[in-house]
Amino acid sequence: MNSYYIINLLIYAAVDAMACLGLNQQFGVAGVTNFGFIIFQAAGGYAAAILALPDQSANGGFQSYIGGWNLPFPVPLIGAAVVGGLLALPFTFLVGRRLRGDFAAVGMLVTAVLLNLLATNYRPALNGDAGLSLIPAPGGQQFSVQSSGYQWAFTAGALAACALVYLFVRRITESPYGRSLRAMRDNDLVADSLGKNLLSLRTAMLVTGGAIAGLSGGILVSYISTWSPAAWGYAETVVLFAAVIIGGAGNHLGAILGALLVPVGFEEVTRYIPTSNNLPPNLIPSLEWVAIGLLIVVFLWVRPQGILPERKRVIKTAGQTPSGPAGADVLVIPPPARAAPASPVPSAAAVPSAAPERPPGPEIVLEAIDVTREFGGVRAVAGVSFGVRRGTMTGLIGPNGAGKSTLLAMLAGTLPVSSGHIRYQGQDVTGLAAYRRARLGLVRTFQLASEFKRLTVLENLLSAVPDNRGDSFRGALAGRRYWRADEAAAIARAQVLLDRFGLEGNANSYAGDLSGGQRRLVEIMRALMAQPRVLLLDEPMAGVHPNLARRIGNELVALCAEGLTVLMVEHELAIMDEFCDPVVAMAEGVVLAEGSMAELRSRTEVVEAYLVG
Amino acid sequence: MTIFLASFGFGLVTASVLAIAAIGFTLQFGVTDVLNLAYGAVMIAGAFLAYVINSLGVSVWIGLAVAVAACSAGSVLLNAGVYAPFQRRGTSPITMVIVSLGMTLIIEFGVQAIAGGTSVSYKMTQGPSVRAGGLVLSTVQLVVIGLSVLVMLGTHVLLRYTRLGKAMRATAANKSLARNCGIRTGRVITATWAITGALCGLAGVVFAMDAGSFDATATDLFLVLILAAVFLGGPGQAYGAMLGAVVIGLATEISAAYITPDYKYVIAFVALLVMLGVRPTGLLGARA
Repeated sequence: MNSYYIINLLIYAAVDAMACLGLNQQFGVAGVTNFGFIIFQAAGGYAAAILALPDQSANGGFQSYIGGWNLPFPVPLIGAAVVGGLLALPFTFLVGRRLRGDFAAVGMLVTAVLLNLLATNYRPALNGDAGLSLIPAPGGQQFSVQSSGYQWAFTAGALAACALVYLFVRRITESPYGRSLRAMRDNDLVADSLGKNLLSLRTAMLVTGGAIAGLSGGILVSYISTWSPAAWGYAETVVLFAAVIIGGAGNHLGAILGALLVPVGFEEVTRYIPTSNNLPPNLIPSLEWVAIGLLIVVFLWVRPQGILPERKRVIKTAGQTPSGPAGADVLVIPPPARAAPASPVPSAAAVPSAAPERPPGPEIVLEAIDVTREFGGVRAVAGVSFGVRRGTMTGLIGPNGAGKSTLLAMLAGTLPVSSGHIRYQGQDVTGLAAYRRARLGLVRTFQLASEFKRLTVLENLLSAVPDNRGDSFRGALAGRRYWRADEAAAIARAQVLLDRFGLEGNANSYAGDLSGGQRRLVEIMRALMAQPRVLLLDEPMAGVHPNLARRIGNELVALCAEGLTVLMVEHELAIMDEFCDPVVAMAEGVVLAEGSMAELRSRTEVVEAYLVG
Repeated sequence: MTIFLASFGFGLVTASVLAIAAIGFTLQFGVTDVLNLAYGAVMIAGAFLAYVINSLGVSVWIGLAVAVAACSAGSVLLNAGVYAPFQRRGTSPITMVIVSLGMTLIIEFGVQAIAGGTSVSYKMTQGPSVRAGGLVLSTVQLVVIGLSVLVMLGTHVLLRYTRLGKAMRATAANKSLARNCGIRTGRVITATWAITGALCGLAGVVFAMDAGSFDATATDLFLVLILAAVFLGGPGQAYGAMLGAVVIGLATEISAAYITPDYKYVIAFVALLVMLGVRPTGLLGARA
């Protein structure tokens, strides 16, 4: 009797903990808010049931269902995980870049409500409202299911599955791939501009979480041997969210703790509430829901990070730059040209040192051709054509509202063009998504602070590194040994940058805790870590101390001499005077003039539009 | 043909209830930027308040008036006590939705804890039936349609011709710009909660009248219809919500007459998912 109680408790704890781990991987780590999470557990439950159940007629024929294959352990459980994962695929259209996260979440919630309604009303497939029962236990033919030995073995199996799931999600989360997921969670637009494929990352998380949820459902159904729509109402998802939020979103141990406190805890506590005939029949269950709602709201207010907050990933840096020349004034950032992919471009060495006297020599690497962008009726950019030559540091000036940032966003692919074309390295990239342009070396920064707040400074830098072997789902699963070398190389590079920009002391601080000027630095360093060929900077010096701004300018000039190309929006004309040549002047959506600052100052229309007014 | 006309009549009533609810929801979201999923729970709280008054022997129409006032006040409090403090702290939209889900549980099951889990109905007469060109509608149904038309006209007048309505539109378009232009956005937002809360209460009671009997969880599915109507027209778009309500209301009831009523919400669900996937700004919304 007593052991039955403990077994029951342990199995429920294992199932709930698995579900919370899956949800935490989606929500806490990757920022994918799946309000329909419970339908994946439900699908796993049904899948395990119809794989394990014998034929309808063989089972008495009192319930109707599809399948009835009577397959032995472990096929039903594998099937549960597979079905849970596959069920995620139809929903990937909700989680692309186009749709706001809260709208996607509502879409998932509504899906959960409707699928429950359908399962309740449609009897032939899964026996409708009454649900499935008499689902055979795994190995029920060979063993005596009632024996305490079998029960304990089942419990051990459930706990082992839970432990495996924990190791699995931890391996993903603590890899470079997991860092990309957390970067996406903190700011998806910026992650996109650094070459992260949001759709692919989110799809992977939906499928992973779905498979984990499906497995948990399969185990639950194998234990309780029944499964019906009443067991997976939409509100059950809210219980799991409450567990993850209370335990600590982003921390997998927190998710397990949350599972023990909320779903398991509520079940246990209410067990000890004396039932009384004086109370209305629905009072206690109703108050349980009220309490869960209160817990969510109160925790989000009082302790939004949860009981066990996401822990900070401190990466030990080797003190002073370990290897290499590392003299403070020698440029040791790897040359941005990375194995020029099949474009007929002369080697970078052929074009440097062209910047100072600006001959028409170097070829145009980035070009806007009659580009237009309309917002409602307003033409923010109205037919702009201009080119940026390789190795130059081109400035873009103009009064507020001239369309500079809009133009930059279109060049980078953050905003689609209304009309016109964008050519990059001789290739038309107008229809190319931002992350793909970034992977070709066309990288931008943002006007507003855009650091990944809950990543450390060092992690911010590492998140931008392309070609890390651990920055893929498979690479993450392959384990640390597979990607350790790439990671070490990336850390070494990041360290050089941190030293040069004077932020080595903040390497392991959260980027969100830095001052405004420091955050601009992080952003520029992060963009450089992405190994750009063309760097688009949107007011990089805003809020930066003039001395530091000058130092950034000098660094960029040095990089341009090695073949980097920079297009920079900046209001500080002293910066333009000192570093940028040529400079493009825009006003009211069109290009007014192009030339050196001295030339622009002699043009009356530029002076009237910008330099004076 | 009679089946079609009968279902068309049902559709008109559903569309009317839906229009009141959807206009409130969409204005609430557009102006205050809170995707308040607790809207359905507030509706049902209003419906139950009217029931309590009705069961004391008072006319349900007085109950309706009280529910409108109470939901208006309750929504203002909900914002001032919960949503506004979270927003002031810079809480992300997605966390706001989670907060609103938490509030849904608190309100909905709070009502259930007090009212019990059983279904209840108002004591009211449906009034003599009115026939017009094959349509048969009860007096109550006609009143519901009339109320809905009044709400739509009132919304139009509010948004087009009053200072408050213009200020609401300005706040919805750009809150900080509106504030810099001298609009007291804080007051506008409070007024919006009051107005949309009143619409929510009205929608709750006429929903309960239309449904006949209802329990505390009755609006779970109706919220799907509201969301479908809102997203069909474009979130934040009052006229879009009217259009969406008419389309969804008629489509669900007419399809229910020909397929089985159990699946009538499926059309709304498909419409909602298609809109989310293809054109989240809605039929009347601007291109992304």
